[in-house]
Amino acid sequence: MSRFAQVWRTSTVRLTATFIAIFVVFAILLMAFIGWQSSVSIQRQQTDDIDREVRLFQRIEATQGIRALAFALNRLSSQPGPGVYYLGDASGQYLLGNMNDVPPEVLIDPGVYSFDYDRPDPLGEDAAGMPERPKRAGVAVVRSIELGNGMRLVVGRDVVERRGYSAIILQSFFFGVVGIILFSVVAGGVTARRVLKRIDTIRDTSTKIMSGNLSERVPITKRNDEFDGLARNLNAMLDRIEQLLQGLKEVTDNVAHDLKTPLTRLRNQAEGALRDTASPETKEKALETVIAESDKLIQTFNALLMIARVEAGAPSGALSEIDVSSIVSDVAELYTPVAEDEGIEVTTNIAEGVTLRANRELIGQAMVNLLENAMKYAKPEDGRPGKISVELKREGASVVITVADNGPGIAEADRQRVLERFVRLEKSRSEPGSGLGLALVNAVARLHGGSFSIEDNGPGVRAVLDVPAS
Amino acid sequence: MKILLIEDDREAASYLIQALDEAGHVTHHASDGETGYAMASGMDYDVLIVDRMLPRRDGLSIIESLRAEGDNTPVLILSALGEVDDRVTGLRAGGDDYLTKPYAFTELLARIEVLARRSSPAEAATNYSVGGLSLDRLSRKVERDGEAILLQPREFRLLEYLMKHAGKVVTRTMLLENVWDYHFDPQTNVIDVHMSRLRSKIDKGHDSPLLHTVRGAGYMIRD
Repeated sequence: MSRFAQVWRTSTVRLTATFIAIFVVFAILLMAFIGWQSSVSIQRQQTDDIDREVRLFQRIEATQGIRALAFALNRLSSQPGPGVYYLGDASGQYLLGNMNDVPPEVLIDPGVYSFDYDRPDPLGEDAAGMPERPKRAGVAVVRSIELGNGMRLVVGRDVVERRGYSAIILQSFFFGVVGIILFSVVAGGVTARRVLKRIDTIRDTSTKIMSGNLSERVPITKRNDEFDGLARNLNAMLDRIEQLLQGLKEVTDNVAHDLKTPLTRLRNQAEGALRDTASPETKEKALETVIAESDKLIQTFNALLMIARVEAGAPSGALSEIDVSSIVSDVAELYTPVAEDEGIEVTTNIAEGVTLRANRELIGQAMVNLLENAMKYAKPEDGRPGKISVELKREGASVVITVADNGPGIAEADRQRVLERFVRLEKSRSEPGSGLGLALVNAVARLHGGSFSIEDNGPGVRAVLDVPAS
Repeated sequence: MKILLIEDDREAASYLIQALDEAGHVTHHASDGETGYAMASGMDYDVLIVDRMLPRRDGLSIIESLRAEGDNTPVLILSALGEVDDRVTGLRAGGDDYLTKPYAFTELLARIEVLARRSSPAEAATNYSVGGLSLDRLSRKVERDGEAILLQPREFRLLEYLMKHAGKVVTRTMLLENVWDYHFDPQTNVIDVHMSRLRSKIDKGHDSPLLHTVRGAGYMIRD
């Protein structure tokens, strides 16, 4: 790749060049407009001047006579300047004025004309000793009129002067454009560099992160501009990634512990069954335990996979409009007999016909987990009968599902912790379960843009699933 | 029953063939998709067991082709993909049932026996009867020995499903899927509690029970 192409590829140069091109085009357009406008107005002013002079001469002739007119005309003719004058008799013959040759049609028909003529150099006037009067080609814009006595008067302006003015405009125009280009190269370069420097900061940070330092963050300036907005988003994203990785690490640790333990038990059972001294009954019993243990492992594994998929935000089956009332009452109905068998009373207060944009399976599984959890713990310490209440209601913009029990409850310090994977509090270690139930409910709530929290039911646990209504 | 098993995992396949043989079924085996498809379209089977991910030809495409040819042999899909949408794609491709790996053999056996039964015309019957127990699907009445039994709507559907497959083992997962339409596992014995309530309504006071628990598998209704 050539050096030019390399330089061209940098955004700084391209950005600057684009800015300059746009800037220059606009500057040229603007100056052309100004030049055109001033030329038009100068032209108009000249015509106005000519007309005014014509009227002046007419007045002089009318009030003071032809002699005064001739005098005034002579005086103006001898003055240096753009004014051109011609006075001819009725036949158009030159009488006086600083222009001694006028095309015949100008004299025949009064009106406005523009023509080339030999202009006597105003500075060479009256140089009597000179062999010939220096002349130069001129262009005149004139108005010719017929005076009262049939004489012809031609009053005009030499536009070479005006063209000289145009040349000045063109020149300043040229210098202006060059100046603008120089200025915009510098300004564009500086601006682009400043912008790209911020991008470079972000790139440097990301390079550091890629090389493994995940705690690195993009610096945020006080300007609070778009770059800071971008930096904040990036930082928030990094926070989330770090959190996920942290979660993953914890899960790996927990998986190592919570899956290895049952696997060890499994292995021990199988080994025991193979022992020579084992009776057929022991063997059969050991094999049954092996199957039961592996079923439990599969369940744990499925739950883990489900949480992972839900947390990754990949909803199994798109969200659709579902009747959440019927799901909640169905699950409650499914569990009521089980609870009753354990001496737990289930009361429901479910609002009818509440719909939600959600995943039916996931909401159902979350309800199952909440109810199974409540059934495990709805055992008051004072020996009173256990109670579970299932509630569903619309509260403003959200649908709130509550499953409450009157068990011993969860200490405030642990309420957030139990939502994590594999977290099982000391007193529940003896109960069956994987420690994944509430983690899944939490993930389901998050997937639906809602929240899940454990509150005090005084006594007991109030598990509250709050999902924004569609 | 004549079964075609299309499964590439040799160990899993030989275990299944042996177990199906012990259960009294004849099983043919294909270890890749193309062979499986050729065997399925060349011979008449009562049930096909198709693994979803196969070498040379994917399981779902075999089912789609068979269905397109008008072959309506019941198909049970086996898959490691167990999410709801995977199940939906499987059933949409023409599968009749979907079983996620790992599975218990009893579960697989119960499902193929029910599937094979589906192709027989008993499907559309409006009433079922087993022993002295009869269930009328239209009037939603249940009687045993002429004595009316009052059932909750869910209990009725439970009994209806069991009687539709009378004489066959019905697993807890099958009940959850077909009676409750849930595709997830409750950790507790919810189904057992519902079954024991149903049992107390239909078998109480009768000498010969109709509702049987099949150990390690599920439930069965029979004389």
